[in-house]
Amino acid sequence: MGLKDKFFKKSLWLFHLSAGSCNNCDIEILDCLTPKFDVERFGMKLVGSVRHADVLLVTGIVTKKTKKRVLEIYEQAPKPIVVVAVGACPCTGGIFASSYNFAGPLDKVIPVDVYIPGCPPKPEAMLAGIVKFLNKK
Amino acid sequence: MDIEKFNEDIKAKFPSIKTIEVINIKRLMIYIPRELLLKIADHLFNELGMRYIIVTAMDSKEGFEIIYHFSDDSSGWIINLNVIIPREKPEIESLTPVIYGVEWIEREIMDILGIKFLDHPKPERFIFAESWPECEYPYRRDYKQEKE
Amino acid sequence: MGKKKIVPLGPYHPLLEEPEFFKLYCDGEIVKDIVWETGYNHRGIEKICQTKTFEQVFYVVERICGICSTSHPFAYANAVESIPGVEIPLRAKYIRSIVGELERIHSHLLWVGLAGHFLGYNTVFMWAWKYREPILDMFEIITGNRNSYAMFTIGGVRRDISDEKANQLKKVLEDFLPKLDLLVGAVMDDPVLHARLKNVGTLTAEDIHDFGAVGPTARASGVDIDIRRDDPYAAYDLVDWNVIIAQAGDVFAKAEVRLLEMYESAKIIQQCIEALKKDNNDEIKVKVKDIPPGTGIGRAEAPRGEVFHYVKSDGGNSPVRHKIRAPSYTCIPTFRRSCVGGTISDAAICTAAVDPCYCCTERMAQVYDHSTGKKIMNAAELIKLSQAKTRELRKKVKL
Repeated sequence: MGLKDKFFKKSLWLFHLSAGSCNNCDIEILDCLTPKFDVERFGMKLVGSVRHADVLLVTGIVTKKTKKRVLEIYEQAPKPIVVVAVGACPCTGGIFASSYNFAGPLDKVIPVDVYIPGCPPKPEAMLAGIVKFLNKK
Repeated sequence: MDIEKFNEDIKAKFPSIKTIEVINIKRLMIYIPRELLLKIADHLFNELGMRYIIVTAMDSKEGFEIIYHFSDDSSGWIINLNVIIPREKPEIESLTPVIYGVEWIEREIMDILGIKFLDHPKPERFIFAESWPECEYPYRRDYKQEKE
Repeated sequence: MGKKKIVPLGPYHPLLEEPEFFKLYCDGEIVKDIVWETGYNHRGIEKICQTKTFEQVFYVVERICGICSTSHPFAYANAVESIPGVEIPLRAKYIRSIVGELERIHSHLLWVGLAGHFLGYNTVFMWAWKYREPILDMFEIITGNRNSYAMFTIGGVRRDISDEKANQLKKVLEDFLPKLDLLVGAVMDDPVLHARLKNVGTLTAEDIHDFGAVGPTARASGVDIDIRRDDPYAAYDLVDWNVIIAQAGDVFAKAEVRLLEMYESAKIIQQCIEALKKDNNDEIKVKVKDIPPGTGIGRAEAPRGEVFHYVKSDGGNSPVRHKIRAPSYTCIPTFRRSCVGGTISDAAICTAAVDPCYCCTERMAQVYDHSTGKKIMNAAELIKLSQAKTRELRKKVKL
């Protein structure tokens, strides 16, 4: 039994962190919770504090003003935590990569485990991303 | 609103208006000297009851160009007040005594272009991080973005 | 002055899409002042637009906000097309209006759901978001994506709506309207919601004028403005529809305006579909070669109010200045009038009532602040407080 099986064998709790996003990925994450996709049937839910979370979902580019806060939230998170970069922006900077307020892609700020590209990724893609991570040996 | 009549009235009321130009369908640009700004804005906003939309500021050839946009909702016309201030001395009166809502946009312009608004009630940094360098204004023409 | 407590509303929100940060200055239960901290989501879009070509700017402005991802291209198209004075084909006008109105329906449903959640009515949240799904599926069929549709281009639209797709859309709307009746009934006839929302966060017509607030926020206070009618664009002057206005100015009136607006949107779409079917002309786009030097100002009525785009061209490939004003930019400051004087438990719904969109506003939301060091209540607790108040009220009206 690997570490992953030990720590993530129960329902995952999610914390959603919008670093500087356009809302698209954020509402698609919410969509995952509502009746059509309904991840709550697996016991997955959004929690109000990162201290309760197993998964940290990050959307949007990391702006110069949010960089400090992203780091702070990552430090508060209980380890191990799965960091998921949702959407093109945290993965690479996407369309905003040339902005003067861009502080670098997410993996330059905190370690990232799962990348889900797309602008925005469909809810199915997000679910598939998490499942792939859990099944990876 | 009858635009011909509006033009005549405003010219009669404020003779120091430089030029009035219809820039597009239902879009009117009024070029005014800086001193006239508060009076004419007060006239449009309070007496004619126009809706304030937003303020645009840009770095153009003549200096810093500040455009105040007002909307006349009964006719669909947008009335723009264009003020040009010299680049050497970037300051202008704040419109906050007349229009309550301009507070945010004036602070934003202070951040992005470094234009000083005199008598602004809260001249603090609006959108940039604490670590943003003091005299760096990304919307100025001479701004060079550092490559990371 | 008595003892003032600072209650940070925010920093992050467990269920609202974007983080936000308000400082509520309170005296006991009563909110005395509200200060908004911003800049967390500033992405410098206006500057990026100045480095892209006119055609590419569409895809940037689309990503200002994922919910209004048609309204911004709409206003930008109006602005750019007004510089050379392009008249777009009739078919393109109808298609633009269909996409715009579908977006309004999905955005208002989203708001109804979130408002329900704020008040502790999670059933409304789940229902509204469930009814939203067929609309998003329809978007996928028409445009190819659930959000960020990339439908618009200079001089028209990029994809046609075939008769087959139009029929599908008609079917989706027919299915949707009875559900909307249900939802409207659930919200409008509920005594608890009446007790909770009436006379809360009231804005007068003067407040609206002072701040320049627009959209449903203004229309709920009896201010009769709607850009679709006042400064017609696309097909809005070719179809028959009404502007919904309420007089009370409180949160309930805002909900009422949004709910009833969905019927009007459905009406517009149905008329546009009929017009599309009759129209045999396949042209959906006119070719625009260059954008001459000049200034273009375009606006569009987004679900939250007027979107304003100012584009200046010097005859080159890209705009030399592109200014964007999203509706929330003038609606959010109205919190200073709507929340102040109310109780803390009402603050959550007051702020939600204007349907604030932070990414639009800053075109630029994540905060974590230890600095105040005073009593801290985060949004989760605030929502809990709000939900607890609803429960009490429910007991009072014996439900």
